Amino acid sequence: MSKKDVLGPYIRVNDPNLFVNQVAAEPGGEKVRECIQCGVCSGSCTTSEWWQYQPRRVIAMIRAGMKEEVMTSASTFYCVSCYKCTVRCPRGIKPASLIHAVEAIAEREGYRPRTRTMPLYRSLRNSIKSGRIWELGTFIGYYLRVNPLTAIGALPTAWALFSHGRLKLTPPKKTRGADDVVKIIQKLQSMKTETGGVR
Amino acid sequence: MRYYAYYPGCAMESEGVPIERSLMAVAKILDIQLKELEDWTCCGCPGAPIHELEAVSIAARNLALAEKTGLDLVAPCSCCYRNLKNAHLTVTEDHRIGPKVNEALSAVGLHYGGSVRVRNLIDVFVNDIGLEAIAAKVKVPLTGLAAACWYGCHETRPYGPDDPEFPMWLDQIVETLGATPVNFPLKAQCCGGAQLISQPDVALKLVWKLLDNAADNGAVVMATTLCPLCHSNVDSTQMRVNKRFKTKFEMPVLASTQLMGLAFGLKPGEVGLDKNIVPWEKVLSPYLKVRA
Repeated sequence: MSKKDVLGPYIRVNDPNLFVNQVAAEPGGEKVRECIQCGVCSGSCTTSEWWQYQPRRVIAMIRAGMKEEVMTSASTFYCVSCYKCTVRCPRGIKPASLIHAVEAIAEREGYRPRTRTMPLYRSLRNSIKSGRIWELGTFIGYYLRVNPLTAIGALPTAWALFSHGRLKLTPPKKTRGADDVVKIIQKLQSMKTETGGVR
Repeated sequence: MRYYAYYPGCAMESEGVPIERSLMAVAKILDIQLKELEDWTCCGCPGAPIHELEAVSIAARNLALAEKTGLDLVAPCSCCYRNLKNAHLTVTEDHRIGPKVNEALSAVGLHYGGSVRVRNLIDVFVNDIGLEAIAAKVKVPLTGLAAACWYGCHETRPYGPDDPEFPMWLDQIVETLGATPVNFPLKAQCCGGAQLISQPDVALKLVWKLLDNAADNGAVVMATTLCPLCHSNVDSTQMRVNKRFKTKFEMPVLASTQLMGLAFGLKPGEVGLDKNIVPWEKVLSPYLKVRA
């Protein structure tokens, strides 16, 4: 029996394909290796009762290379970005940003966790291109993209806002800034292909 | 007269209409000149969770525009405030992503040098205007009005400047107006934000917790900062919360500037109260009669 068989397959710690290195290369995920697994993030989390794997566990799973499990569970998409974990983390890891880094990888690599939050983020991100967000249009687009029937639950809110003159029915005027935003996004895309670096 | 560059944010054009109206009325009384940032765009916040660099770059465009004015940049919306401040800190402190942001901005001929101070308006009211100056303008003290002062998340988390876990500046403002801020342990809790659209179960439960806690502590109104998202989430979903959790909440939600406007002697219409969804006439009638 050779030494290699005893030790199992050889893993290069700095292999960029390792899940932990992917997360560390993503803006916000840099400090994933510094977590001490104290669990303050999970204990602070506003929505932890809904997460399949809670934040501390997600970080442990990232470091264990359990990419499929993390990406296909809806866990990270329950993050409401309240940043309580971030102000409390004793290691200064910014867990909320780390969770967003995981969400960004999931979105980019086309994973389909069972959550409607990912399509919502996509719709919202798309609408930035028109310069200013037009909420009604964005949300109609989102409901058409997921399941139009789910819009029924939101009708009371929409009606309350509309009847008090707080729902804009027409898109905002297109400003010069909208072109700038599109140019910035295109530039970011070209930078990605030029450098081959992080996005 | 104090001058600020003003970044309204997209929500101010729809659900934030009453807040903006009250802000403009109050700013006039307090001698604040808000100069709307010319050609501003979305702060990038909506796409931030799935593309940080893009969100920061789009926010930095607004910062670069603000830098030309040489004024402090104020954002009433908490999410805009956090994202603009995040972009500022990324450019000035993050040596890995910061340079990429300015490279992206070069496509539109802009550059952000890092000199803008991003502020929120509660900070401006307390630290620039001062509570004494606010007290001096009060004409109709809101004596006896028990208010739960609710800050939401991004107003103080993660970038402050008030305490991120137990902020007090809004309480101080409300107290200055003559009202009574009640003890409110969930004052910096989240309303669920955009998850109201994608995961209503989550957001409605969070709103229910807020209302339940506020009512338990004897509050009759909820005072929010100037965030239109916080305000509309709690204001427009109360009947849905009541239906789901079999409760009977009818707690008016007033932005801090709406309360300030009322105390300064403005009419309800002048502070946009006619656009508030939860009925407020009963609770606020004592303070409206004094005026007439």
